[in-house]
Amino acid sequence: MSWRARRALVLLTLALGATAAGWVRGEVYQEPDAFVAEIFGTKPAPKVLWLTKDIQAQAAAILGHPPVQLRQRYWSDAHKSVWILEEIGKEELITAGFVAADGRIDHVRVLVYRESRGGEVRYPTFLKQFKNSTLAHNNTLDRDIDGIAGATLSVGAMERMARLALFFDRMSRQ
Amino acid sequence: MSPRLLLLRLLRRWHARIGFAAMLFFLMLAVTGLALNHGQALGLDGRAVHAGWLARWYGIKTEPPRRAFRSEHHVLIAANGRWLLDGRASGQTLPEPLGLIEFADNFAVASETALYLFREDGELIEKLERGALPGAPVQAIGSSVRGIVLRTASGVFTSADALSWRLLTQRSVLWSAPAELSAAQRQACEEALTPGVSVQQLLLDLHSGRFAGRYGPVFVDLLAVLLAVVSLTGAWLFLVPRLHRGRH
Repeated sequence: MSWRARRALVLLTLALGATAAGWVRGEVYQEPDAFVAEIFGTKPAPKVLWLTKDIQAQAAAILGHPPVQLRQRYWSDAHKSVWILEEIGKEELITAGFVAADGRIDHVRVLVYRESRGGEVRYPTFLKQFKNSTLAHNNTLDRDIDGIAGATLSVGAMERMARLALFFDRMSRQ
Repeated sequence: MSPRLLLLRLLRRWHARIGFAAMLFFLMLAVTGLALNHGQALGLDGRAVHAGWLARWYGIKTEPPRRAFRSEHHVLIAANGRWLLDGRASGQTLPEPLGLIEFADNFAVASETALYLFREDGELIEKLERGALPGAPVQAIGSSVRGIVLRTASGVFTSADALSWRLLTQRSVLWSAPAELSAAQRQACEEALTPGVSVQQLLLDLHSGRFAGRYGPVFVDLLAVLLAVVSLTGAWLFLVPRLHRGRH
């Protein structure tokens, strides 16, 4: 086999490997660590919110299913808190970072998207709808979030995570 | 007897015969169709049926469990991406475990890419991944007087709460190691660790006939034709006598 053919074969193998790895891990737009570091300048030590029975019940009402773990890691300073949350869109988990400041959503970013369709939820035009949203009655958002055709379930997952981030932020400051 | 009456009698007989013969299949199509139409609300995506015969039918290769990780109060056996933790099988797909240790009142299971912290009753406290781990991949898990110990490519780290990690200097670590299962133990937990088939996939295959192999869809096509025949004969039996009465 000539060196050109060998090189092509190696490149093809690497490309296939990278594609397969991406498919398994999903589309990583930003590592959660990098997101936290970007918000605070450096990555501060994590804190944890223990989900008591009452918090679990309210989180379950927001998510539509019980939370999967008993403690939630977060990062905070005097003004803002950062929550890295995961929720299933249709079949796969969406990982998103939420920054809550003074009881409002300050910033949202989709960090890892694993679904095959509906990735439009990562676009700023969609995410900016969450800016300054707060929790209203019954832990719902104080506004309606416009959907995206073909991404209804991912939009729903993002909205549930935004509500949960605000709820957790409130609980962490009590 | 008039030819029209003969035809009506023939149609009524065959309408009843076809309807009765295919009743079970029509019901199955109706039930699976309804369930698929509301799959999201019913949460069919996340559910799976775990049965040895079903896995064999789908040609899914199954590996019998070979090793167990044991601590003082807990046992973990894994195979086919499933965990049997203290006799309870995981519903979701989980990675190959590296070890199991107890710390404080809790216990922890490590895989190459994640650390799972459990409360004594088996409830998941937290799953730690890359960013929360002191290094990746994890090579081994152990315990010391300080708490959890992880051996990674970048060193041996310890933590009491899995929040902050520091390099371990003292070397008295009790590393978790697997123990071989006896043939009887393997057999006892083999069924529980069988890989699952998604309920949604199963319903879809039953509805389309693909569950029965290559001739299944042909059979469902035949049922569709029979359903059309039953509908048309039913319409004929309903309408023709009324039209006839209308003329007289």
